[in-house]
Amino acid sequence: MTLALRLGWRNLFRNKRRTLIAGLAIGVGLASLIFTDALMQGMVAQMIKSATAAYLGEGEIHRRGFRLTQEPGLTIHDAAGVEARLEKDPDVEAFAPRAESFGMITSAAEARSVMIVGVDPSRERLLSQVDDNIRQGAFFEGSGERDIVIGNALAEILGVEPGDRIVATVSQAGSGVLAQDMFRVSGIYRFGIKEMDEGFAFVRLAKAQDMLGIGRGINEIALKFRDIRFATRKDNPFWTAYSTGGNEAVSWAVLLPQLRDALGLFWISLAFMAAILFGIVAFGIINTLFMSLYERMFEFGVLRAVGTRSAGVRRLIIFEAGALAALSIAMGLVLGLVLTLVVARTGVNYSGIEFAGTTFSEPLTPVLQVRQFVVYPLATFLFTLLVALYPARVAGRLRIADALRKSL
Amino acid sequence: MNTVEEPLIVTEGLKKDYREGGVVVPAVRGIDLRIGAGEFTVIVGPSGSGKTTFLNLISGLDSPTAGKVWLRNRPVSDMSGDALSDFRRDHIGFVFQAYNLIPVLTVRENIEYILLLQGVPDDERAARVAGILKEIGMEGFERRFPPRISGGQQQRVAIARAMVSKPELILADEPTANLDSETGSELLDMMRGLNRRTGMTFLFSTHDRMVMERADRVITLHDGRIAKDEWSRRT
Repeated sequence: MTLALRLGWRNLFRNKRRTLIAGLAIGVGLASLIFTDALMQGMVAQMIKSATAAYLGEGEIHRRGFRLTQEPGLTIHDAAGVEARLEKDPDVEAFAPRAESFGMITSAAEARSVMIVGVDPSRERLLSQVDDNIRQGAFFEGSGERDIVIGNALAEILGVEPGDRIVATVSQAGSGVLAQDMFRVSGIYRFGIKEMDEGFAFVRLAKAQDMLGIGRGINEIALKFRDIRFATRKDNPFWTAYSTGGNEAVSWAVLLPQLRDALGLFWISLAFMAAILFGIVAFGIINTLFMSLYERMFEFGVLRAVGTRSAGVRRLIIFEAGALAALSIAMGLVLGLVLTLVVARTGVNYSGIEFAGTTFSEPLTPVLQVRQFVVYPLATFLFTLLVALYPARVAGRLRIADALRKSL
Repeated sequence: MNTVEEPLIVTEGLKKDYREGGVVVPAVRGIDLRIGAGEFTVIVGPSGSGKTTFLNLISGLDSPTAGKVWLRNRPVSDMSGDALSDFRRDHIGFVFQAYNLIPVLTVRENIEYILLLQGVPDDERAARVAGILKEIGMEGFERRFPPRISGGQQQRVAIARAMVSKPELILADEPTANLDSETGSELLDMMRGLNRRTGMTFLFSTHDRMVMERADRVITLHDGRIAKDEWSRRT
């Protein structure tokens, strides 16, 4: 066995140029796969971050039925108890309670239907990015209970600036009675996302609760985890642990099915790319092994003549392919790592570009994962061995007398 | 004329036809032959006379169209697959004209290759390789690769590889064809000496007069048939 391994390894260097070209072909294929996967990981992370970090959160807790009806009367069961548990949960980095309902915002010039959200500013700052994107005014500084924060697009439609007064109207929970109150625009934010900039208005939590007539009730608790991958796992026990007492806890993947589907397409396209790359690699391997086989026909004849079984010759070809794969994988890993690290330093700038309902806010950076350096090389190795079965079969079936035609 | 009392090789009605473009070309046309154990026999004949085909049939490298081959009463012509490979490994040594050795294996690795196939233990393998290297005068060349030694030395290593497993029969196809006459002569003397000391049977295919001069027996093939079968006066 060891001699066969040595034979396979040394045979690689009989034609160094050919081995280098074949190795580079496989190595570049592997490096491309690693880089593309890393870039897609970065893109996915960025998309999830863009979609969840702005406002939504990486997960949410509601009263069951609220997501469908947006009925403000559907408040979270035992909200105080849930918040107390979240405070102690080691996986939760931050959470923000909200009371919300569709309503009407009216200025002297215009009226608009928006989502009016009551927030706890101190908690909201830790979760969403509304405070980070304030362009004029401030995000609930001081104690003004009639402060309202709106997006720049909504401000333009309403024709208002910080300090101007607007009226918010909502339908009270249960009775449906309209409740109205006057607010002063205290801050204007801009995300660059139309839905956010035009469709939301933020007021203090207590004020919203009063207007909606839900007491100290909470409609939604937005969640941020210490690791975003925690939220991505739909089978995470966290969701069932908090889906009790009529409440439901759901991941962003449930809240944003269109994004989840778009990300699914990413992985399908990666699989297609991998299939094409492996196809190219397969032809490279077969070509290399057959050239090597035909060049050394007499040698294989000698090996068979002196008593090497057909399976032994097949094994030699497989070992040779394995040696080629090992060499190629080493080249591919180095190339993939260097390429990924270089691009990770500079990033690929897609800032401001909208895709699948999210807008990239930062340059894309590839994300290195152990999987890329274990699964793909292993797959390349196994695939190379699989592809080598064909030339190995041909070598095993050589007619010895033909291989030795000019000798014995 | 001598007779073979204890035959190592027996062929009966051995025939081999090839097909070339739909035409049947007979290469061996019915050879009945007995070669005794310990003989140093040469097969000669013009190109196309069937020498190579005949040796291929004896060693099981090719299968006959008709007829039988026995080696030490074992029906070689009826064997196939792994059984035939194992039989060649254990009973027949080969020396080819050139490109005999695996260039990426050292002298030692080339010689021990067959012993590895046979599963000979490490200690015994090392001893046998060392012994055969001494016998062919190639001590100190163990770690050299074939391209780094001369053609004559390569053929010596090839002979060592053929003999190390102690087969009953050594088949040599034009072993001196690529060597100068002095080296070829030395090599033949070495093989003749090994034949006498070990009693191994040597069967050559050659055009080389030096080989014929050293042979016990010269068999001449013509058009796939035995034209002459002569024993040396020495024998």
